[in-house]
Amino acid sequence: MLSASHIAELRAAVGEDGLITGRSQLQTYECDGLTNFRALPGAVVLPRSAAEVQAVVRVCARHKIPFVSRGAGTGLSGGALPAEGGVVISLARMNRILEVDIANRYVIVEPGVINAHVTQRVAPDGYFYAPDPSSQSVCTIGGNVAENSGGAHCLKYGFTVTHTLALDVVLPNGDLVTLGSRALDAPGYDLTGVFVGSEGTLGVATRITLRIVKQPEVVQTLLAAFHSPQAAGQTVSDIIAAGMLPSALEIMDTLSIEAAEAAVHAHYPMCGGLLLVELDGPSTEVEILMHEVRAISQKNGATEIRLAQSDEERMLVWKGRKAAFAAMGRISPNYIVQDGVIPRTALPRVLAEIAGMAADVNLRVANVFHAGDGNLHPLVLYDRAIEGQEEIALDLSYRILHLCVDNGGSITGEHGVGKEKQEALGYMFAEPDLATMQLVRCAFDPENIANPDKIFPRPRLCADRPGPYRPHPLETAGVAEIF
Amino acid sequence: MSASTALSLEEVRSHLASMVGDEHANLRGDGIHAAPANILQIAEVLRFAHKNDLSVAPAGGGTKAGWGNRVPARIRLSTKRLTSLIEHSWQDMTCTVEAGSTWATMQAELARHSQMVALDPLWPDRATVGGIAAVNDSGALRLKYGGLRDLILGMTLVLADGTIARTGGKVVKNVAGYDLHKLMTGSFGTLGVIAEVNFRLHPMEEHAGTWSATASDVAQFESPLRALLDSQIAPSCVQVRVKREKCAVDIRIAAVPHCLDEQADRLEKVFESFHLAVSTEEVWQARQELFDRDYAVILKVSLLPAEICSILSELQQQAVSDRLDIHAVAQANGLVTVAFGAATDEVIASVEYLRTRARNSGGSVVALQMPDELRGRLDVWNCDFNALPLMREIKRRFDTKQILNPGRFVGNI
Ligand SMILES: Cc1cc2nc3c(=O)[nH]c(=O)nc-3n(C[C@H](O)[C@H](O)[C@H](O)COP(=O)(O)OP(=O)(O)OC[C@H]3O[C@@H](n4cnc5c(N)ncnc54)[C@H](O)[C@@H]3O)c2cc1C
Repeated sequence: MLSASHIAELRAAVGEDGLITGRSQLQTYECDGLTNFRALPGAVVLPRSAAEVQAVVRVCARHKIPFVSRGAGTGLSGGALPAEGGVVISLARMNRILEVDIANRYVIVEPGVINAHVTQRVAPDGYFYAPDPSSQSVCTIGGNVAENSGGAHCLKYGFTVTHTLALDVVLPNGDLVTLGSRALDAPGYDLTGVFVGSEGTLGVATRITLRIVKQPEVVQTLLAAFHSPQAAGQTVSDIIAAGMLPSALEIMDTLSIEAAEAAVHAHYPMCGGLLLVELDGPSTEVEILMHEVRAISQKNGATEIRLAQSDEERMLVWKGRKAAFAAMGRISPNYIVQDGVIPRTALPRVLAEIAGMAADVNLRVANVFHAGDGNLHPLVLYDRAIEGQEEIALDLSYRILHLCVDNGGSITGEHGVGKEKQEALGYMFAEPDLATMQLVRCAFDPENIANPDKIFPRPRLCADRPGPYRPHPLETAGVAEIF
Repeated sequence: MSASTALSLEEVRSHLASMVGDEHANLRGDGIHAAPANILQIAEVLRFAHKNDLSVAPAGGGTKAGWGNRVPARIRLSTKRLTSLIEHSWQDMTCTVEAGSTWATMQAELARHSQMVALDPLWPDRATVGGIAAVNDSGALRLKYGGLRDLILGMTLVLADGTIARTGGKVVKNVAGYDLHKLMTGSFGTLGVIAEVNFRLHPMEEHAGTWSATASDVAQFESPLRALLDSQIAPSCVQVRVKREKCAVDIRIAAVPHCLDEQADRLEKVFESFHLAVSTEEVWQARQELFDRDYAVILKVSLLPAEICSILSELQQQAVSDRLDIHAVAQANGLVTVAFGAATDEVIASVEYLRTRARNSGGSVVALQMPDELRGRLDVWNCDFNALPLMREIKRRFDTKQILNPGRFVGNI
């Protein structure tokens, strides 16, 4: 797709050492964390500055070449999957922390900075960067911004969008714009809020201003073992109903515990449903509330309750939890990671249904989830070597997403729609909803070259005139159904 | 020739009356006030306005109608008949409410389960959910709970051409599709009419206390405030009230009862060189009082948190030397409301000075309120940033005929 002259223009933009065109090297960029989707790019560029990103994007804009931004490639929905024959813009070399302002509690970084490095940088001052995806030791802030990534502690602290104050973005026409500001409420549309979570389809973030948060005085982590994930789920509901906002509430089922144990020996109690509760804040408050959490756990039939006694023990508990996805490789040859959300109260019902659906097709589904915010990560285990099983597993994983939507939830809580869940987005949103989102897309990227063919169920062009009026299902259903 | 000249005002009224009912479409001045009963009627009204090139000003309680550039609108579309709390899933701590509900009505219903939307906007008794979202209002609670960007989970909107669209969802965590509700929040009714809002809820703060201290120069608060925000005290609100020759700081802390005492002790230490006294909840009305009094000019100023005291202290000095009547209420997050008693040349100079100071650290100054004679001399938004063409393009795509609040927003969007 890329001609020799396109390549020459790209070389002029980033220099010889910033350009990759050799086939074997290109293959490194064929996929992201969702490895069953692959496409070979025509070139990979590694810019060192926003100006170089601009130069690359201008080449793409001039020739209508699709480009895909890439951070660490850990995305789980195919967001960084290249456009076949197009350009991949790797932000790996833009990895400097540009400014740290403790008094005003912000940090300015380049997009290739690794998530965990932000906290490492401000920890000596008693601060941290709150969003903590399990992949935080490798994933980049640019990728986090694009996916609006979450993590276990988002229950209390919010998602990437909560912590993003401003962005410099290279638009798909090559212009560099600043969205938002270090100070709150910059006048104008909240385009920072729109860009975060747009999965690389609106441009390339080249400079990101992040909020940092004061470290809590104490952190306590409790493990409570239950007979079933449902009992653990009920405990979660009761904790929230008691008016508490723990910093994390995670549940793992038997399969996940087994896998995590095999991988990191976290010394989890073997049980049907393991609940992990983390409280942080002023020490007296944490003491008092932890007492309450114990009582609630006991009331719901906890068979074992254990408080991590040291920071090392706490870290080990989290290491096991964060390793849970990767650990599945130890108990199953292949697995699909899903990412649905349901209202917390639907947990027991939906978990039972998922178990039933899995049993119907003779597959196992492991569950590890951010229970506090109803974010499920069903892991569908299968064996690719068995003829037809991959298709059955994929079908099951999509049906689980539909189940989430049917229960008032969402098809993705943190991994994004990407390439994987485009059809499911069409299940969650009606045509007019998608067409309205498309207005934003077209304002940013009228030529549809920034990460094209992602998120939306089918390709769309940015016509200058709106199409014919489309009634929302709300309308066709009639007022009576709405109220 | 625009189609609107084809319809007389009375013809517009009677068309609208056929959609929303005769008693809900009234001629007022040179426009029509229309109050649709539900979202379908909103869509019908907008489709009609769009077809006939009639400008529309969406309206809730009308409390902030004067904010932004002045725009005449042929149709004032009121959400006052859309007032129900559609759903309160208290166990999931979420709710869906119609845009015309007043903030206080909604909160009263949520309070039945000791829950709230954790935001303290202006005039909760009159201001509506839709209007508050449209201007992205927030008060002192924002320090702890974040702003509407963090509290709104989804919306149902009606676009200028009558398209109904949903965005986001009802669950607290959701990254499916673009977050159009974030685009709508703070868009001053220029992109669509907000019909319903889904909120994330928090437990009400059952045990809380407020403490205050006073000083003559606000600069004196700089170091204790810095220490407070860098400490393990977790206040839900911190504000500084500034007048020409005196000022006060207020701190609200919510915690379980036993902890509250402990936190109060810590607070005492931070403010040991002041006389810190238990205060009343009423101090948290201070921002609203600025608007309720007869101040001529009111600004929304956004500063870096660490610069509040020094900049406000400069303002105090100016006020003394120029004999200005000023009053400011600053949140510790950097959002400051500044009010001036008169609209003199010194005040204009003072506003321009603030603008320069704010801009140097990424902040801004928006003139929310000013007398008519100042409009034209004092720019409301005073913004010139490189994302403006992109914002214009978004407006053009959403509202092809520019009928929604045309010209009210930044850059005359
Ligand atoms: C083991 C494992 C655990 C995980 N756990 C979590 C978790 O707990 N929570 C969670 O939310 N996610 C999790 N993820 C998913 C993934 O790590 C996140 O989505 C992460 O934010 C991706 O970052 P990245 O740098 O790898 O981005 P990539 O995968 O390289 O890219 C992701 C998307 O961002 C876009 N992008 C990248 N950089 C930019 C830029 N500068 N400007 C514009 N767009 C850009 C890409 O085009 C792509 O669409 C996990 C993944 C793995 C493998």
